[in-house]
Amino acid sequence: MIEVSNLTKDYGTVVAVRDLSFAVGKGEIVGFLGPNGAGKSTTLRILAGFLGATSGSVRIAGHDIAASPLAARRALGYMPESAPLYPEMRVSEYLLFRARLKEVARGKQKTAINGAMDRAGVAHMAGTVIAHLSKGYRQRVALADALVSDPELLILDEPTAGLDPNQIREVRALISDLGGDRTVLLSTHILSEVEATCERALVIDRGRLVAEGTLEELRRRQKSSSLRARLRDPNRLAEAAISAIPGLGLATFSADDTGDGRRTLHLTLSQELDTEATVETLVRTLTAAGVGIHALIPEQATLEQVFSELTAHEKANAEKTLPEGEA
Amino acid sequence: MNGFLAVYRREVLSLWVTPLAWVLLTVFLLLQGAIFYSIITHFASMAEVSVDTGPLQAYFGQESIFLLMTLLLVCPALTMRVFAEERRSGTIEALLTAPVTATSVVLGKYTALLTTYALIWLPTLLYVVILRKTGVVDWGVVASSYLGLLGIGAAYLSLGTLMSAMTKSQLVALLLTIFLEFGLFIMGVGEYIFDPGLFRDVCAHVSMMGQMEDFSKGILDLRRVVFDGTVTALGLFVTTRVVDSWRWG
Repeated sequence: MIEVSNLTKDYGTVVAVRDLSFAVGKGEIVGFLGPNGAGKSTTLRILAGFLGATSGSVRIAGHDIAASPLAARRALGYMPESAPLYPEMRVSEYLLFRARLKEVARGKQKTAINGAMDRAGVAHMAGTVIAHLSKGYRQRVALADALVSDPELLILDEPTAGLDPNQIREVRALISDLGGDRTVLLSTHILSEVEATCERALVIDRGRLVAEGTLEELRRRQKSSSLRARLRDPNRLAEAAISAIPGLGLATFSADDTGDGRRTLHLTLSQELDTEATVETLVRTLTAAGVGIHALIPEQATLEQVFSELTAHEKANAEKTLPEGEA
Repeated sequence: MNGFLAVYRREVLSLWVTPLAWVLLTVFLLLQGAIFYSIITHFASMAEVSVDTGPLQAYFGQESIFLLMTLLLVCPALTMRVFAEERRSGTIEALLTAPVTATSVVLGKYTALLTTYALIWLPTLLYVVILRKTGVVDWGVVASSYLGLLGIGAAYLSLGTLMSAMTKSQLVALLLTIFLEFGLFIMGVGEYIFDPGLFRDVCAHVSMMGQMEDFSKGILDLRRVVFDGTVTALGLFVTTRVVDSWRWG
């Protein structure tokens, strides 16, 4: 549905997107992740046809955006970042204008507008002037606008920015609901959003793709996994016992006393270690040392950690190469 | 012409649901009323009136300087927001990501402005109706006078649209447009200032007052029409290129 190859965009001396390539298949819900200023909005604006690329090519639903821009734009519904709307129009007037603009057949306009308003949850606001709407409702009107032509592809730039938690949940539910027959590409810098709605994520930092894959794949990318152990250890034998395990020297750990002789141990295992074998060794060693094990809790890597590791790593790399001419 | 009609309808709606068009209409009609009133009182006190210098000719022709001065106020105010506001508020992003060409966007918006301009002039037809009660009105002259006004308006609105596309600030667009159109108007005044020669001919050619004087006598000079048409087409063409260029900003 979306094929991007070697996309580069520079604004004079600032390179916003460099050599970006990725593809999004039909029916996928893909999250476009990155810290603020990573080039997410620029990329989405290029995909939507608002900005031209400096080099590289983009195909939307099989149409090259440079060669046949109208056909490409016809296939997609785009929701810009700040949800810009005409304040003087009523919601229904605005959506009618957008439906006409997007060439919705005359006889189907009414159904399309009502359907879009229902899905976005603004049907009861149809007669309200947009200037009087709250930020959350404006966001949803912009979403209705993206849906009104019933496009195969939706490109949503930070669809939940500025919404309250209830609205965020509703919008996420709507996006999950849209998947299946439609392709959705949404950008965000909030990781829980990707976890809640997307099957796959693209991580971009400083204009470059740093990671791509399903959420499971991304989680596995984390360099280390960690364990939390709740122990009964009045004589503080755990540290010595663990330090004595051969081959576990790579792991770091810390402990805090919770009183009563109970302690909690945090262990970070380096990636090279086989987690399951380590746990076995750990249990055996601790039991042999006379430490009581109350619980051993594996801590799953959150995307949060993966994300900060990926983007931090990228930053360190970039700093190394920086003196050669970027500044 | 993808989306031309949709853009046109939205623009007309926007112009008339916001106070702008109504404020301009009111100011414009007050000024025109004052001008027309003073012309009529002037003619009423005259002992003798020759055939081709009636009050209508005075209003549209010899005294057209007043009428053109109000246009220098109304046209820039009408066009200043047309692109500047969309760019400042960001709605241009939604507009240009719809399957529309820059040409339909520019023409749709421009045609809406021209319609509004024509609507603002519409009530002045009452002046003709008033005059008809006391004398004979040559409808051909009325038609050619309005045609002249439409030509001048078309050119002014096209220049204003271009200026509005050049900046995100409505105020800057307004000032640039006034500067440009006032310059064009003043150049026309040069017809009465300079000695005969090439420069005076050029001034006479672009003179808005000269145009109204001709048209108010029923003289449809093709050169005038071509001039108005050229300014309009040039302004709109450059605006289209400017809108296209935003993709590369």
